[in-house]
Amino acid sequence: MNTSATAERPPQVSAPRRRPRGLDSRQRWTRIGMQAPSLVILLVVLAFPLVYSLSLSFQSYSPVDPEANGQWIGLGNYARMFQDTQFGQAILVTIAYVVLAVALETVIGTAIGVWLSRLMRTRRLVTSFLLLPMIATPLVVGLMFSFGLNAQFGYMTDALQALGLVGEAGVLDSPAGAFAALVAMDVWEWTPFIALMVLAGLSAAPQAQIQAAQIDGCNTAQLYWHVMLPMIRPVIGVAILFRATEAIRQFDQVYILTGGGPGSATTVNDIFQYRVSFTAFDMSYGAALGIATFLVVAVLAWILFRFLGRKGAQ
Amino acid sequence: MSSMSTVTGTRAIVTGRRAPDREVAAPSGARRRIFGIITAVVATILIVVYLSPIIWLVLTSFKDRLDIFSSAPTVFFTPTLDNYVEAFVKKGFTDNLFNSAIVGVISTVVALVVGVPAAYSLSRVSRGEGFMMALLAARLLPAMVLAVPLFVLASSLGLRDTYFALIAAHLTFALPFTVWMMRGFFLAVPNSLDEAARLDGCGEWRTFLQVILPIVRPGLAATAIFCLINSWNEFLFALVLTGRHTETLPVAIPSLITPIGTSWGQVAAVGTVTILPVLIVAFIVQKHIVTGMTGGAISAE
Repeated sequence: MNTSATAERPPQVSAPRRRPRGLDSRQRWTRIGMQAPSLVILLVVLAFPLVYSLSLSFQSYSPVDPEANGQWIGLGNYARMFQDTQFGQAILVTIAYVVLAVALETVIGTAIGVWLSRLMRTRRLVTSFLLLPMIATPLVVGLMFSFGLNAQFGYMTDALQALGLVGEAGVLDSPAGAFAALVAMDVWEWTPFIALMVLAGLSAAPQAQIQAAQIDGCNTAQLYWHVMLPMIRPVIGVAILFRATEAIRQFDQVYILTGGGPGSATTVNDIFQYRVSFTAFDMSYGAALGIATFLVVAVLAWILFRFLGRKGAQ
Repeated sequence: MSSMSTVTGTRAIVTGRRAPDREVAAPSGARRRIFGIITAVVATILIVVYLSPIIWLVLTSFKDRLDIFSSAPTVFFTPTLDNYVEAFVKKGFTDNLFNSAIVGVISTVVALVVGVPAAYSLSRVSRGEGFMMALLAARLLPAMVLAVPLFVLASSLGLRDTYFALIAAHLTFALPFTVWMMRGFFLAVPNSLDEAARLDGCGEWRTFLQVILPIVRPGLAATAIFCLINSWNEFLFALVLTGRHTETLPVAIPSLITPIGTSWGQVAAVGTVTILPVLIVAFIVQKHIVTGMTGGAISAE
């Protein structure tokens, strides 16, 4: 494969290169003509719903409850969050899920990335195969594991039963099993992402230092551990944060594989929110939960952005 | 030692006359080649195991009920197209396929037509950071945050179960993605080209359409493909905004799974039809997918 450069796009456009020329009015109109449609659409489909959601989060509104007809209740929904033990449970499940899945993906993905970087002729082909789980419809990914782990005819169940790891009822029947299945599915789907990032980082690593280390008598393991791994640490950091911001909002695969069960063992944050908003139709509480989630993701994104910014400055 | 000689003996047969000479000359080379072959075999097995969930889904879609529930996992069976016929001819999953396609194509076209000029314009000004930051925030926005207000708004406007609502919802990620990606590609085109075109008397729009746009055609393709796939794969918005008339393929799948009497063969058939176009496209235009997947962080050559 030919991911050669990690051209981390610098978030800041280097200002001096763009000439500060006086815009005549025609140019300004062209510019407006080019940007305005995007802005208008984004305002209508994105900004307005967000603001609407924010205002909804301070109300009590449910289309199925005549008493909750949109009266203002201030921070009531946000206060409710802190007393909601189900929400607390969902947060714990989500944290455990994100930490476990992303940690496993990072370790395995880095190893695969290193392996890919050593492949020559077959790298392109192997990468193509590794891409498939990432690009496949997430819901169908959940479906695949639902097939594989089916207690009656799943081939994964058969394999695990042969190894004596699960009983007749199958993996998804026990809380621990269902949770493990979820983590395994995420690792299956997203480890290649880390591997690709690592591969890109390795192919962009400065060769001079690597050669210097080789001349100094580094063996291959030392070379990777002491020289190349520190070089690609920023890339791995970015990849981890990308993954974390996505794993936090995991929904599709969980929805079809376990639906959050058994009990609340796999009720991750988004499944919980879906139940609040679209099963109980408690829209205003759902909006508040969404805003809170967004704030958490935004903080993660801010860290990510600072990462990218530092890399761009180098 | 004996296994070693067996392997080299086999190799001598396979590769004919040339092999023995080289083995005498460089035994370590031969060992390395055998090691390479073993690695290749192991790697192939690992890849097959890795892709087994996909393979299993596709295989199941060609099985009849008996083969699906047979006690031992069967790889060899008489393939049947019954599941596909049942699901797509008799049960109307063709409509879902059509819905998915229509929403994907329209949202992609709108995102490109509207977003690409904006991306170009933003790549040519120094003050674009605010907009770009907002776009990044939009890309990181959890879909669940938008699903609630979009559902309430669509319901109160009577727009639920319309293509319009779902396309609008898909634009919330397609448009920021397009602007973000395309701006990156435009930034790679030197400004001097714009200047030259302008000196030749091109207006801004003509410079953009006839000079710059053809240069970034690969980027355009990558962005379009990725928008299409994202829309095709999207589930949550479609789940809450569509109804009987506009249901896309991913939404139709869970409704097939019931506590009793699920027709797993048909589920597999619909699942296969859902992922197959994506997988084929991903295989053909791998480098574009890598670019899009990593948000332009990795640019393939």
